[in-house]
Order: sequence, then structure tokens, then C-alpha cells
Amino acid sequence: MWTVAEVNHQRIVELTLLLLAAFITLTTVAIAAVAESPNIDWSAIPYLAVLLVLWAVSHLSLRKWAPSANGLLFPITAFLQGIGIAFVLRIDSDLLIGHLVWSAFSTCGFISVIAGIRDFKRLKNFQRPLGLIGLLLIFVPTVMKLIDGEIGSYRSFQISSVAIDPGPLGTLCLIIFFAGWLATYRSRNTAEYLGQAEPLEGDPSRFIPLIGAWLIASIAVIFQSDISSAFIIVAIFLSMWWVAVGRPLDLAVFLTAIIGSVLLAVNNVPELQERFAAWTDPWSNPQFGEAIYRSTFSLAGGGLTGTGPGEGAADWVAGATDQLAFVPIAEELGFIGGSAVLSSFLLLTGVALSLATVARQEFEGLSAIGIAIFFASQAWAPIAVALRLLPPNDVSLPFVSSNGSVLFTCSIALAFLLKISETAPDAPDPTQILPHISPKPESTA
Amino acid sequence: MTRRLVHVGIAFLAVYGLLFFRLEMVQIVSAENIRKHPENSRQIRLDFDAPRGSIQTADGEIIAKTVAVSGPRNRLRQYPYGSLYSQVVGFISAEHGGSGIERSHNGFLAGNDLSVRIQDTRDLFIDQARTGQVELSLRHDVQLVTRAAMAGHEGTVVVIEPDTGSIWGMWSNPHFDPNHLASHDLSAAAIDFNTLDSDSAQPLQNRAEYQGVEIGSLFTVVTAAAAIENNLSDIIIPTTETFPASSDLPIITNPDGNKCGGTIKSLMINSCRSGWATIGNEIGYDSLKDVTKRFGLIDNDPLQSQNSLPGTASPASLASSASHAAVGMSMRLTPLQVATLFATISNGGSQIQPRLVNRVRAHDGSITHNFETQVLNQSVSKETASELLGLLSENVINGDAAGLQLNDVPMGGLLASSFSQSNHLWMVSLAPVTRPEVVVAVLLEGDDFDDRQIAEATIAGISRRITEAVLRLPSPTLGES
Repeated sequence: MWTVAEVNHQRIVELTLLLLAAFITLTTVAIAAVAESPNIDWSAIPYLAVLLVLWAVSHLSLRKWAPSANGLLFPITAFLQGIGIAFVLRIDSDLLIGHLVWSAFSTCGFISVIAGIRDFKRLKNFQRPLGLIGLLLIFVPTVMKLIDGEIGSYRSFQISSVAIDPGPLGTLCLIIFFAGWLATYRSRNTAEYLGQAEPLEGDPSRFIPLIGAWLIASIAVIFQSDISSAFIIVAIFLSMWWVAVGRPLDLAVFLTAIIGSVLLAVNNVPELQERFAAWTDPWSNPQFGEAIYRSTFSLAGGGLTGTGPGEGAADWVAGATDQLAFVPIAEELGFIGGSAVLSSFLLLTGVALSLATVARQEFEGLSAIGIAIFFASQAWAPIAVALRLLPPNDVSLPFVSSNGSVLFTCSIALAFLLKISETAPDAPDPTQILPHISPKPESTA
Repeated sequence: MTRRLVHVGIAFLAVYGLLFFRLEMVQIVSAENIRKHPENSRQIRLDFDAPRGSIQTADGEIIAKTVAVSGPRNRLRQYPYGSLYSQVVGFISAEHGGSGIERSHNGFLAGNDLSVRIQDTRDLFIDQARTGQVELSLRHDVQLVTRAAMAGHEGTVVVIEPDTGSIWGMWSNPHFDPNHLASHDLSAAAIDFNTLDSDSAQPLQNRAEYQGVEIGSLFTVVTAAAAIENNLSDIIIPTTETFPASSDLPIITNPDGNKCGGTIKSLMINSCRSGWATIGNEIGYDSLKDVTKRFGLIDNDPLQSQNSLPGTASPASLASSASHAAVGMSMRLTPLQVATLFATISNGGSQIQPRLVNRVRAHDGSITHNFETQVLNQSVSKETASELLGLLSENVINGDAAGLQLNDVPMGGLLASSFSQSNHLWMVSLAPVTRPEVVVAVLLEGDDFDDRQIAEATIAGISRRITEAVLRLPSPTLGES
């Protein structure tokens, strides 16, 4: 079906790096197993085999439906996912089966995006329904719990034994919506400038993403006591808006409003106060503080080279497979392993941002920025909690944590990025500098 | 647009730089300090499931051991004598860290200490559990006697051998059963821990080492030492009933309102607080402070047994006037400090570091660490010390420690009672007073005695029982290897 001649070099890069990621994952599991870790035995092998099959299927579908997509993105996320699975296996192997089902589900989502969306810019036509869905997904759990009469922190709700966290998926939908909105704003602005359209004095369009981000972040902070998801939303929309519009005065007003909301919440929401108290003095509040000081002790116990996989006190920290998934990795693989994970996220963000510079359409470029910052901030928030840079929160580490619904969202976002990268001109191939002859995937068949 | 994209990129690089910086701070730069943090129970948590050496008393009784069990965790820490050693040996728990010897000597017990782990180079290549066995100075027989004597009372007893600083007995009530905390049933252990931890009587605390209590007239032995050094031993103090209050300190009265005076011998026999206050004035504040300092009672953190965990008790301080200081007002000492003070006097004025651990053995039985007798300083001269012993002996023959008298052994002792704010009592006994082999410090707390004489008789009875039993017990085979 595929011959060597037809394979884009991006896919060769991808395959090579995927093999490396598989090697690292298997080595980590093997070392942990040798270290007398009670959770790992031969029954782990089928799980790992399923993981490798999922990667292979994703890789093959990229070959079929998006052969010229960027070859770095998928292996980076695969590496993170593999490390995550290795540590889930070592800490609590009971979680693994559910995690693998979610992985399979995520791979299905990934492939349907890769195969189903032929041209990413067509999503712009669906921006309004997507925006609506995004708002619903972000606020449905809040509304549901408000109806039940509980007010407090919650980002996920349970359907039987499956925890679903719709927030990130809603954020992803809103990214598409705002990318479309800002692209429209920019094209009209350009038309206005060129005299092809009537000038619209005091056009409010450019404020909409800022006001939206402010509202969503304020609601997250005040009603969900969730300063980290507020941080994520602000970071994403501020970045997109700054690239598209970039007016310092608006920025100043926006930041003032955000700080006002946060101060209001800190002074009035008891749970947020508790979280802040646990952040400034972890001993004062065992409920939130325990995980913080245990994280610090675990990280310090790891040192430069770590205790080695399977040798740390990983299950000592609550949330070691989810929000604080970074802690056991940095403890057992040390500063070196922790830096590798941090660098992977940085690289992922960097590649995604560089896609924005070469994207043909502003809609695609802005979407790429949104998704890049989505990954970057979604990863930054939980790691910052482990390092006591942010108050404790419930954000799951993308790809690494065992939280399946976040993995699903991130896989969809990754598929979007790959679709965007496919339409971006590939620099080494001179024929692709001219956008209109960019080859369709089917043209090679 | 590209320029502003670069802004975003730089901003996120900076924010991630913050993460790298913090990670380096936590994992490398200040990692050593964080590992040594007193609340850091990670290492104990790691060692909870690991092979672990046993702890035994000087007379060979095993009081903490790890046994093989079935289940997801295959090792269980057991304390065969339950609460008998709870405060000294402490506990080890999956969720709540550890305390006592289990924590302070964790490196040896878990085999993290290299000298325990590696006997010779061949050991580097053999994969085998290597743990250290810790041998305490505590004696099982002494501990049993102490518990029996203290049955039904709240308080603390420290039994110490003066010339080596070996602690033979250390018992306090309330206590706890470490077996519950070492349980594999983590939720049950958590409930037990939280109950004990929130108990206002603080059963988890080792009171003998970490809880300072006002010692009152026990301090007169230090005042007497200062008086002897200042050649005031023959001074005759006029008979008084009270010592007047000064600006911010209360009046000093005698028990039962007695009138007393005379030489320091008669002051001691009659517990003449007003007389001691007068003599304190004669000695002067600086001289009194100097002697107190040489006994190691003030300015430093309270003396603890060798290698024990740092405590939270604050250093004791002298009252601000010489006369109030002389009767021990507001002087708060731990039972171990009191026992060490009298052990120093018994030992010719030379202060020995008290210790709970005699030696550590490797897995093959060879000794890797031998904790020798360690002299801290010469607090007072031999002559002064022997004069003090004479006073203490006189106090048993004619004074308020008469309840300590034994038929065939000359005893020394001192009693402190009638505190204004609480109704605790102290008694220290030394036997035989000619050349003391054992010092017993007893602190009784929480008993609601209506009658002071009954209270004094009770504590004298407890002290006498313990001292007599310890003297008659066969000496343990110490010093073999």
C-alpha cells in the first residue's frame, strides 16, 4: 500500500522518534520491575503492547491521511504518554486498564480528526456552534452542581466510575471560536485599511476575546475556586489576542480587570482562601497542604539523578498519577528526568508556535497559537503546583496524567495541530513555497 | 504579527524558565536542607516496607522487630511489649512518619548507613538485605519495675547509671501502643494516630526528654553548690517565715508556714525556702548563674540523650532575682535533665552525656558503632560534689526525703512539692549515697492529692520501690562483644 518512495521524510522522522519513545517507556518499566516494585509483573506486557499498537495505528493513519504533517509533534506527546503510563503502572496498576481504554478512545478521536477534517480552515465555518459548545462544556458542571446545591471546587463530574472533565475540551472549542473571530477582525481591519470597506468607528470586535476571557476566568475563580484554569484561559486568549490585535492600552485594562477579579475572589471565597493558606503555609492546612509538602520532600529526595524508577515513595503523594504526575517522575528520574519532561512540553509549544509563523491562513495560525499555549499552560499549572509556584489546584498534566478525558482532549488538539502543520508549506521542499500547489494528501496515490 | 508572536514565545520561555529554576532549587540547591527537615517523613515512608533491623534492650530482650506476613505488604513491624517502650523506641508508620529511636536511628535500622551495609568489599556484590541491630542501654527488668511502681499514676521516671550516663529506665504515663500505628490497615492507623495526636495529654510525646516542668526546691542543690563554692557552707541564716516579695516577683513562703533558718544543712532538711532565698541573695546573681551554667541547665537547648531527635522544648531560664532563682522559681527542666543533674553530683561533679543506645551491630553480629561514655564537662569540683552528697544523705536521714530510707543501703534524695500553680511533685533518689550506682528521678503529675503529706508519701514510696528493686536486680552482662 505504501512504498518507500511515497513516504514523506516527516513520517520517517516521526517513526524514528516513536521508536525512541517506545524504548524509553519500556526501559523505565523494566528498571522499575527489577527494583522489586510490587506492582509490576509480567501482566504488564499486554498493556504495553496495546500502547505500542495504538501508537503504530496513529502513525499509520498519519501516513495515510496527513503524510506531510509535522513529524515532531506526535513523538513528543507519545514520549510523555509513555512515561505517564510507566509511572501509572508503577504506582497503581489498577488504574491502567481504564487509562488504556481512554487511550484507545483518544486514538479513535485523533484518527477521526486526521481522516475526517480534510481542510482545517473549514472549521472556521463552525466557529459559532463551537463557541457555544465550548461555553456549555465549561459551565455545565458548574450549573449542574449549583442545581444540586453544592458550591465548591469541581472540574469533573462522575458518570458511574468514569470521571469526565469537560473543561479542557470546552477551552479547545473556544480556541477555535476565538481564532475565527480574531481572523475575521483582522481581515476586516485590513480591508478597512486598504479602503475596501467602510470604516467601523469604535469596532468592539477586538474586545470580545478579552471580555470573554475575563468573564470565563472570573467565573472559574469565583464559582469554581479554580485559579489555575483561570490562568490557563487567560494565558491562551491573551496570547491569541496579543498576536492578532496587540494594543498595550487594552492589555493594561484587561490585566487590571483580571487582578480585580482574583482579589475579589481571594477575599470572599472561603475555599480559595484555604488554598492560598495551604500555599503560603502548607502545615496550616492538611487538606490541601499535605500534597504540597510531600511533593517538596519527594522532589528533594530525588535530587539530581533521582532514586531510580520504582525506588521512590511515589504513592505517598496524593494525586501522583493525576495532578501531581510530575512529582514521581522528577523524584525517580531526578532533576534530569524532570527537565526532560519540562523540555518536552517546551519543545511541543515551540513547534506549535513555529507552525503559526508559517501558516497560510490567519485562522490556522491563531488556532495553532491557541493550541500551543493550551498545552504550555495546561502543563505549566500542575507542575507549578508541585513546585509551590501556584496554589493547589486540580489541573491534570497533559498526556502524562491518568486522567482520560484530558488525554482525549489533548489528542484532539494534537490532531488539529497536525492538520494545521500539513497545510503549512514545508520549507525543504521548494515547490511548496507557493501555497496553491500544496499537494493534497490523495494526490500521491 | 510575527513580532508579537515572538513576544508570546519569550513570555512562555520565561515562565518555563521559572519552573526550571524552582526545580533546580528544590532538587539540587536546597535538597539537603529539605531532606533534613524535621517533618520530612519520606525516608521513613520508604523504609516502612523494607527489611529493618531489630531493637533490643541491654539485657537482650527484643522490643521491636520486623516479621514476615502475607498480604500486599510483606513485612510488619512489631513491638512485643506494646506500650512499655513506646516513648523511647517510638513507632514507624506508613502515613505518619515515625518517632523515637525508630526515627533517630532509622539510617542504621534500615541499612541506609554505609558502615552497616558494607562490611568488606565483597558485600558490594551480594544482593541481600543488610540492616543494623540497635542495642539500647535500657534494661527490660528496670523498665518493668518502673512501670509497676508507676501503675495508676501519671508522670515520668528516669533511671540513670551515673558513671556511664546509660539510661536504664525511661517510662512515662500516658503512653501509647506503637503496634496500632505500625499497622497495615492504614485507615485504622490514621484514626489511632489522630486520636493520640489530638489528645491534650500528649501521649505521643516522650515527656522524659521533651517536656520541661518547674523543679522548684530541687534547684536548692545547685544553690547549695554555689554556697559551698563561695565558702558560705557555715553561714547561719537568721530564722524567718517568709522572704519578702520584690517588684514583680511574689513572696516566698515556707511549706506549712514554718519558721526556719540556720546552716545550709538545716535549710535543706527543713526545705527552708525563705532561708534559701536569703542565701541566694548572699551568693549573688552572677555566681548563681555561673554554677547553673556549668551544670548545663540554662542557655543551651535542654540536654537530650545522645543522637536523639531535636526537641521543641525551649531552654530553661533563671528567675530575675537571685533569691527567687535560688529556690528554683520558674526553672523548668525535663526529667532527663534532672536525672543528669543528680548523676553529675553523684559522679564527682563530672557531667556525662546520657545515652539510650549502646551499640549498633551489622547483620552478621559485628559491632559497627559503639557509643562510648562521653564526658561533657566538670561542673563542680569533687569536693563540692561530695559535700552535696552529704547534704542529700542528711536529707534522707532527718529531712523531708525520709520516706526513702532503706534498712541496709544509705540513700540520698531530694523532694520538691507545693508548687503554687500546679500540683506536681518531684523526687530524686541516689543509692547508695556513699558512691551512687543509680539515680532515679520521679515526676508525678496529674494526681489530685488533697493532702500534701499523702502526696509526698506516695512519691517517696514510688521512688523507694524503684531504687530498691534496681539495686537488688542482678547486674546485666554489659561490655561483652
